Amino acid sequence: MTQAQLVPWRRAAQSASFVAFATLAVWVGRGAATSARNLLLAYFAVDPLVLIGTLVAAHVLVTVSLFALLTVVASVLFGRLFCGWLCPFGSLHTLALAWARRGRRRRLPDNASSVRRSKYFGLLVLLAAATLGVNLFGVFDPLSLLYRSLVGGLLPALGLAADASSGAVFDADPTLLDWHLTAWSEPVYGAVHEGLFAGRHYALAGGFVLLALVLVLLVVNVRWPRWWCRAVCPLGALLGLLARRPLLYLAQRDADCSGCGLCTIDCPGAAQPDKPGDWLARECFGCLNCVASCHKDALAFDWRSPRWIAAMRRARVTAAAASPASVAPATVASPVNLARRGVLASLAGGLVGAVAARTSPQARGLVFEPTLIRPPGARAEPEFLARCVRCGACIQACPTAALHPAWDEAGLEGVWTPVLVARVGYCEFNCTRCGEACPTGAIELLTREAKQRLHIGLAVIDTARCLPFAFERDCIVCEEHCPTPKKAIYFVPTDVRTRDGTTRILRQPRVDPDLCIGCGACETKCPYRDRAAIRVVSANEARNPANKPFLSGLGGLGG
Amino acid sequence: MQTRRQFISAVAAAAGAAGAASVLGCNSPLAALSPAPGAPGASASTGSVADAALELSIARANPQVEGLDMQRLATRLTESALLGLGGMQRFVSRGSVVWIKPNIGWNRAPELAANTNPDVVATLVRLCFEAGAAKVKVGDHTCHESRQTYVTSGIAAAAEKLGATVIHLDESRFREVKLGGERLQLWPLAPEIIEADLVINVPVVKHHSLTQTSLCMKNYMGVVGKRPAWHQDMETCLVDITRYMKPRLCVLDAVRLLTANGPTGGDVGDVRMAYTVAAGTDIVGLDAFGGSLLGHDPATMPILRRAVSNKLGQLDWKKLRQREDTVTL
Repeated sequence: MTQAQLVPWRRAAQSASFVAFATLAVWVGRGAATSARNLLLAYFAVDPLVLIGTLVAAHVLVTVSLFALLTVVASVLFGRLFCGWLCPFGSLHTLALAWARRGRRRRLPDNASSVRRSKYFGLLVLLAAATLGVNLFGVFDPLSLLYRSLVGGLLPALGLAADASSGAVFDADPTLLDWHLTAWSEPVYGAVHEGLFAGRHYALAGGFVLLALVLVLLVVNVRWPRWWCRAVCPLGALLGLLARRPLLYLAQRDADCSGCGLCTIDCPGAAQPDKPGDWLARECFGCLNCVASCHKDALAFDWRSPRWIAAMRRARVTAAAASPASVAPATVASPVNLARRGVLASLAGGLVGAVAARTSPQARGLVFEPTLIRPPGARAEPEFLARCVRCGACIQACPTAALHPAWDEAGLEGVWTPVLVARVGYCEFNCTRCGEACPTGAIELLTREAKQRLHIGLAVIDTARCLPFAFERDCIVCEEHCPTPKKAIYFVPTDVRTRDGTTRILRQPRVDPDLCIGCGACETKCPYRDRAAIRVVSANEARNPANKPFLSGLGGLGG
Repeated sequence: MQTRRQFISAVAAAAGAAGAASVLGCNSPLAALSPAPGAPGASASTGSVADAALELSIARANPQVEGLDMQRLATRLTESALLGLGGMQRFVSRGSVVWIKPNIGWNRAPELAANTNPDVVATLVRLCFEAGAAKVKVGDHTCHESRQTYVTSGIAAAAEKLGATVIHLDESRFREVKLGGERLQLWPLAPEIIEADLVINVPVVKHHSLTQTSLCMKNYMGVVGKRPAWHQDMETCLVDITRYMKPRLCVLDAVRLLTANGPTGGDVGDVRMAYTVAAGTDIVGLDAFGGSLLGHDPATMPILRRAVSNKLGQLDWKKLRQREDTVTL
């Protein structure tokens, strides 16, 4: 098989990788969290950004991330094959680019070298910030970004489309003679609803932004091909740094080259396959487009011998031996060419940004945000932010739609980390799926018993709204749904003077702070549909001793 | 006023009873049944097993043995209770669609008695098929997250094993129905339930923090949407839905009772074993019996008093035509 014939295989690998990745997005939501976690972990485990980010920012070695060393070694040896063959986000870009070009073979613009270099500067900014504990690798990591956009943006959008279209048919109930359209639409909807969305009606805060962002990045390919991969991606930058002198190199046979430039028309990385001796190993994705497009067979990938073998060979070759027809960009390794000024500016920028992110009163630990309620098993906030890669796996795994990507609850640093929004969904008592899904241990996997005792927040009654306090009516829905066996919500039967002068006994609810775990079932089920009359706040969360207003053991049923 | 279907069922049941009597033998499981001596209102024909006109059939057990096979006991209790009413064929006609409506509200294991016993439900599924039902559906509108709840309660697995179609109810698919009640005029209901030929209401007997008890009438809440508002006037709303549903067969699961911290429960210390299953055609009387198991005087249960004044049934369950059987393993 010639190298050109490998191109369809490369496309197949890209497609398979994307399909596998998207399948995991769905699987994690279907309750197969443990097994899906293992498969999803495979992606995040081989991602060196996850390894570096958690190591530098959180000072922890996420053991499974040691597999990322495989990617590191592979990139050193073979270059950025990950970008060209395996990256699911890269697969989307390839598809978008192919669609944008639609048979027209305009030359893909060579990026100015400044564009190429910007991703390295970006990587340095992230590294610098990580040294101070601010881990934003997950925001820019292509795997996190894509996963987050799929589960936070695309799946909810598809879910809405399915719900709305089938709901419209159901409500209108069109019939043809005696046959109802719903006889066909309902089973189809049921299959999609169960299979794709695990029976959930997605309603995620911020979903539109996530979807729009990834669509914009894909549409940019129309004007600047694989701009993300060339100019922004920190994983591409890291692999590019590693691909200084890969063993696999592009052998350019200058003697056969006719100078047509077809090879560079199709080069997604602008790696300069048409410039003999000046092929940029750090920018090459190994996609083989150049090899396949050359009519003169002037291009092929070849193995470079390690230096000591090449030296031995050169010593054996006599002066009269023919010099190789191909020009290997061998002796000088592909330079990155970052100006020292730029490097220093990037590092400084990262440090300053990290410090600035931590100057808010919340980040300094003076006050805490009541709406920042983390999933059960979440570590203390600084370590949580340092470990979380904002992938959204926990959000997808949550069966009750309790977790949502944060917007301003955790500051700029915490955008897209998971928070509990009890108004929309509560933390199911017997469930630990978020901990099962988390690839970095930002959410620890607890035993069910430990989770059921863990306080993640506190329910607080709004007596201006609560029916038995404010409106002379019984309700008790909050107490009814409270899952704690000893009942964190209890009633005080209270004599209430009503408007007509009579006295009624109403069951007024109270919360026992020693028993309340902050799951939010009460807030979700409260009959109010605007703001609930009982709301969960972050006070009393076990992971933050500074956020505890109570002296334990006083009052209520607690001991 | 009997419908044609009820008449045919009664005739078929009588014929079936005669046939059952003729196959009674020592090896038959039916031999384990014996009418409790001196049971009030017991059928005069103590020799025959079934009497089609009974309104209440109670099956009890007093197991002394530790390490009891609870599954077998719950199954036998359910069989006995139904047989005492004349068998499932009294209610299920050949080719009909039955919806078994247990209590599957809460994400709790069966031992916590917050949901209906899965073996009671499974037995009812089997009996329906044996009586000739074409399709048996099992489902409830859960309070906790439905997929985990169906699994933890054990009901989905037990019912599916016997061929039932287990269905999750989606409130977005409920349709507004004219209830024509005192409080509820137009209310969203689950269409698949009310379209079934027969709805078997099978709750677990338990304490409820608002209504003191959760029994058959309360169990109808799983059929409706927009439930939170009901808590402000539960009595009237339950009477309205009960009147609309026209109950024909209700089965009380009193194998385990949840005596406190209901309806959600969660502490096995609140569970008391009662080893009883009761089936009946008078929902008010059956609920009165269930209330008595929890230690209440039915005359003090406001929902039942309201039901009686709306002519939904008889409060004094002892006056119903009934039988009581003891089941031994």
